[in-house]
Amino acid sequence: MKLPVEWLKEHNKKITDVHNLIHKLTLAGIECELIDHNKKQVIDFSLTPNRADCFSLKGILQEIAAIDNTKLKKPRNQTSEIHHNQSLPIEIESNQDCPVFVTRVIKDFDNQVSSPSWLKDGLELCGFKSVNLVVDIANYVMLETGQPLHTYDLDSIKSKIIVRRAKNKESIKILDGTSKVLNKDFLVIADKNQTLGIAGIMGSEESGISETTTSIVLESAYFNFETIMGKSRLLNLYSEASLRFERGVDPNIQSQAVERFTELLNQEAGGSNGPIKQTVSDKNKPKNNFIFLRKDQIRRTLGITIPNKSIVNILKRLNMELQEKDFGYEGWSVKAPSYRFDLQDECDLIEEIARIYGYEKIPESTEKQNINLQLNSLRAEKRDEISNLLCNFGYSEVVNYSFVSPSMNLLSKKSYSDALDIQNPLSIEMSVMRNSLWPGLITNLSYNLKRQQNDVRLFEIGKVFSSHKRIPDEKLVISGLVYGNRNNEQWGETTTSIDFYDVKGHLENMFDQFKVLQNISFKAVKHNMLCPGKSASIKLKNKTIGFIGELNPELSNELKLDSNPVIFEVDYDALEINKNISHSSSKYFPYSRRDLSILMDVDIEIKSIIKMIDALKIKDLSNIIIFDAYMGDKISADKKSVALGLIFQSKSRTLNDDEIDKYMLKINHLIVKKMNLIIR
Amino acid sequence: MTDRLSDLSKQALKDIRNSSTLEELDSVRVQYLGKKGSVSSQLKKLSKVDPDDRPRVGKEVNKLKKLVENEIANKKNSLNDKKIKSNIEDSALDVTMPGRTTIIGNPHPVTSTLNEIEKIFLNAGFLVEDGPEIEDEYHNFTALNIPENHPARAMHDTFYFNAQYLLRTHTSPIQIRSMEKYGVPIRVIAPGKVYRRDSDITHTPMFHQIEGLVIDKDINFTHLKGVLHDFINTFFEEDMKLRFRPSYFPFTEPSAEVDLLSKDNQWLEILGCGMVHPKVLTNLGIDNEIYNGYAFGMGVERLAMLKYGINDIRHFYENDLNFLNQFK
Repeated sequence: MKLPVEWLKEHNKKITDVHNLIHKLTLAGIECELIDHNKKQVIDFSLTPNRADCFSLKGILQEIAAIDNTKLKKPRNQTSEIHHNQSLPIEIESNQDCPVFVTRVIKDFDNQVSSPSWLKDGLELCGFKSVNLVVDIANYVMLETGQPLHTYDLDSIKSKIIVRRAKNKESIKILDGTSKVLNKDFLVIADKNQTLGIAGIMGSEESGISETTTSIVLESAYFNFETIMGKSRLLNLYSEASLRFERGVDPNIQSQAVERFTELLNQEAGGSNGPIKQTVSDKNKPKNNFIFLRKDQIRRTLGITIPNKSIVNILKRLNMELQEKDFGYEGWSVKAPSYRFDLQDECDLIEEIARIYGYEKIPESTEKQNINLQLNSLRAEKRDEISNLLCNFGYSEVVNYSFVSPSMNLLSKKSYSDALDIQNPLSIEMSVMRNSLWPGLITNLSYNLKRQQNDVRLFEIGKVFSSHKRIPDEKLVISGLVYGNRNNEQWGETTTSIDFYDVKGHLENMFDQFKVLQNISFKAVKHNMLCPGKSASIKLKNKTIGFIGELNPELSNELKLDSNPVIFEVDYDALEINKNISHSSSKYFPYSRRDLSILMDVDIEIKSIIKMIDALKIKDLSNIIIFDAYMGDKISADKKSVALGLIFQSKSRTLNDDEIDKYMLKINHLIVKKMNLIIR
Repeated sequence: MTDRLSDLSKQALKDIRNSSTLEELDSVRVQYLGKKGSVSSQLKKLSKVDPDDRPRVGKEVNKLKKLVENEIANKKNSLNDKKIKSNIEDSALDVTMPGRTTIIGNPHPVTSTLNEIEKIFLNAGFLVEDGPEIEDEYHNFTALNIPENHPARAMHDTFYFNAQYLLRTHTSPIQIRSMEKYGVPIRVIAPGKVYRRDSDITHTPMFHQIEGLVIDKDINFTHLKGVLHDFINTFFEEDMKLRFRPSYFPFTEPSAEVDLLSKDNQWLEILGCGMVHPKVLTNLGIDNEIYNGYAFGMGVERLAMLKYGINDIRHFYENDLNFLNQFK
């Protein structure tokens, strides 16, 4: 809401320093800022939803008076002259929805008069477009008093005004020209034949006033805010009226607003006034009850003791009614004024006291520590460990949006049945929850390549989503992508591309760090996004915990990449911090190494040979290193040569050559006789 | 005989002196001290010397041998030194050549900021809790005293999946989940991603928040002010000026917005907080006459922007390595 400074000054002569005023209001919880509009000062208020009472000039003046501890001028209760007796019958279906409904018929005003400049310019400063005199005055009175008014062309209303719930699928063409379909949750204003407006939100096009209108029905109502609440959101139709009605309008100002409107209209364009016709159900008007405010509770919440005198003073400044309980020793019974819908509980009153007393006057104290220490740093530790490791391998962390385009999700999964679609996305590019972090990383790669980053290594830790029988599921994963050279281009090194085995090594290091490496295996696998023959599933014991591989060349081609990036994705929960390190103090005895070069078919997995050797259970064979793998001209095309380094080391003594020879004999026998491979 | 030895000595010392390499010196050593060397042969000849002279001549030959050995050793040392020196000279590096490097990455600035904040609160004895990013209406709104249709729901534009599930609009539901899980007293922070239907220079549809919650006996507003000021000073590593001003959150009462005075004397909004609304506690079956407490929530990107002088929140999600690698 915007209000010209001039209007405030007109009503409160003490306002001289506008900056100070803004500061005071802001520190009392009425956030506002000064803006310059065509060299005129305007205050722009960002009101929180609880302060319905501040949605008007009157409300702000009231607030300033409370802050300054000054008296507000009593409003003049002017009543207009009555010129005729015409009024429309009013039929209210449910007084609960509409406790107060006030109308007046004003006839024969001069419709040639346009809005005076003070009104036109003032409204413009408040962000309202000047329409015509009647509408402008209605808007002005709303800004001044907080009461939204609605005007109907008298001739458009047939016989009586009915306030009722809408029928299911009832449709209405509203002032902005669009049609809205309602249901019985909505309250409407109607006559015998047609719907005149959606109560509290907007009138119909048909019943609105036009240039030829000379007689109007003015409506000033109090609708139950619970009936109005949420309806604008359902229709995506917000108006200045709905903004006020759904927060709550003072239920005691409807007639005053009608009088103020009449006064202004008569003043500018004459007209003949009918009597005020009002239907009021006191029983259904919201009433504030007395709330018991305990002195002790104020201290308990705020941590300070505010003198009784100050508390009473603050509450009175805010127009609260109060009765002392036990002379103020225990506390007070407090009733908030009718325009404060937000003061329902003791804690609400305590906030009022605190904000007028001043938050800045409440001291700071260091809170006492009486909660047991708990070992809870593991979460941060795990993230740090993963992050440090990957950073040291050259990966930079990225954070991508959790929503992607449907086509990005289709990259990794053909089926679309378990996708989680957002009902109200910002755009199609952000309309479905991601099922993998890979599409994001690939997008990041393209973006960075365009910015001449040639060696790109990225990782992300984030959630992927799916749904099962409409129940959403989310899972935290770690994903990575590498592309480009193994090292920075530099002297003394030839540049080579980073490849599958580099990334596999990074992962193995990570698994080792989390002490799960011995249970990890890699299995060749087919995956939509990965290059056949260069992709593997990662298994922890028998459970698949992730995938690694080169990006499918078809995708690389689409992205115009020179080579295929290597990507991986691993379940975050597969990595658990294992704090129990057991230290073994063994003596050192020297090891001996024997090398073995084996010629085998290309499709034999090296892991299977190592497994067979392990199965021999040679207890002094402490490690097997693969130190070379060769495919090329020197051997036939369907063969590969793999060189193993066998490390023999006993925990209790130095091994002699004879012993090792015996072990080697066993291994040679296995490879040559049982596996039919050739030792070179 | 003595003259002969004296000549031999002179010649040997001369040869040693003239050796310019370790190899030459070694051949000199062989020439004089080797099995067939001239000094060695003098020793062999001793048996032929008159027995009366033998002790004297023997002494002299041995003296000669010692002398040559010493001289050779000395010369060897000096040649060794010389060789090391010349090796050093020959193998000098161009120390101005760049060192060999590997590629090193770095965490995302949002992650580092989150970690920093977490560490500060971990030190103060807070728990760190996670929660689901897809929340239900109850935890995101209802349990936090935001009934259906309440205008406060419009304060956070929500992404919905259906009537029940939505993307959490704040990390506050973790407050509720933590109290459900651990009961009270509790001291917890909840970091994570949150989502709002908003996108411009100061808003991204996804961002990060850290929520804090302390519930105990006799917690009051002065504690809230104290803890937050301590936190802000620790985070920014200097004494910052703060102001608390009244605001509105359905789940706190009194509520406050906290502003920080920037270097250019502007008040910048950095976090929201307040005393937990008694209704939130009662909803969870906690006696609000015994327990009370405070809650606060802050935008992580906002804090990172202030700390590192970043002017556009969207930078965080472009994932441009030129931007990211500044935070090494």
